[in-house]
Amino acid sequence: MTEAAAPTLDRWSGGTCPFGAGWRKVMMWWFIVTDGLLFAGFLASYGYARILAFHWPDQASVFSLSYIAAMTFVLISSSATMATAVWAARERRRPTVLRFVLLTALGGVIFLGMQAFEWGHLIAEGARLNTNPWGDASFGAYFFLLTGFHGTHVLTGVIVLATTAIRSAKGLASSEGVEMAGLYWHFVDLVWVFIFTLFYLL
Amino acid sequence: MRVYWITWGVLLMFTSVMLWADGAAIPRTAFVIFMIGAMLTKASIICANFMHLRQESAWMVVTVVVGLFVTGTILYVLIAPDAARIHSMVGVR
Repeated sequence: MTEAAAPTLDRWSGGTCPFGAGWRKVMMWWFIVTDGLLFAGFLASYGYARILAFHWPDQASVFSLSYIAAMTFVLISSSATMATAVWAARERRRPTVLRFVLLTALGGVIFLGMQAFEWGHLIAEGARLNTNPWGDASFGAYFFLLTGFHGTHVLTGVIVLATTAIRSAKGLASSEGVEMAGLYWHFVDLVWVFIFTLFYLL
Repeated sequence: MRVYWITWGVLLMFTSVMLWADGAAIPRTAFVIFMIGAMLTKASIICANFMHLRQESAWMVVTVVVGLFVTGTILYVLIAPDAARIHSMVGVR
């Protein structure tokens, strides 16, 4: 082994922090990448079906874009409150952490409520997994698959946030723990950016 | 903390412009390019500022970006356009 190669090997030899970050954070990023690829697969499949379809429904006539914009506003705002909670955790301001984590969870609950209302509205109009009144049959399948899978992630995030809030109130939450919850929540927001653009706008 | 709320404002501004563009009479190709550009910009802003990727080591950034962006691009560029080819095949529908 040359001297030049030695530092590189140290960095990758199972030491303390190969990426200059703790293992929890590295593993959370790995999870985000793999989960992101799952969504990328769904969205690529949707792109395939969309190009293949002879008559894809006009989204503006199916969805209320102002309503979807409001859902987006709620999710982006909850990301800002989560980032503030992470900052407060680093500054060891426990009451601020608790307040902003709860605000973020509230944003998630509002988003889920709005999504449930949107689902109910579309189901009442005849949207199903295998059929819909607006055009290509796969439209309903992709709508329920993409928004449902994302909604499940939001629900998981709300549970994680609730757990973080309880731990924070008891003084058990570490700043790294709050940061991990934050990373997951921002990922949920990140995925929505893609769904909002590719499914609702394009 | 200030940077998070500036980021929030920028993300809302991008979203508003995208919604405006959706209702404007823009040629389809330009519209699609603009939307994908805005989407990727929003995603980058979230990763950099909210997820603090900007403060992580360069290798972490490279690993995450290559893992997600390159694989996502392969999925779209190599697979999705095949659907367009099916339209031109003789005897399909």
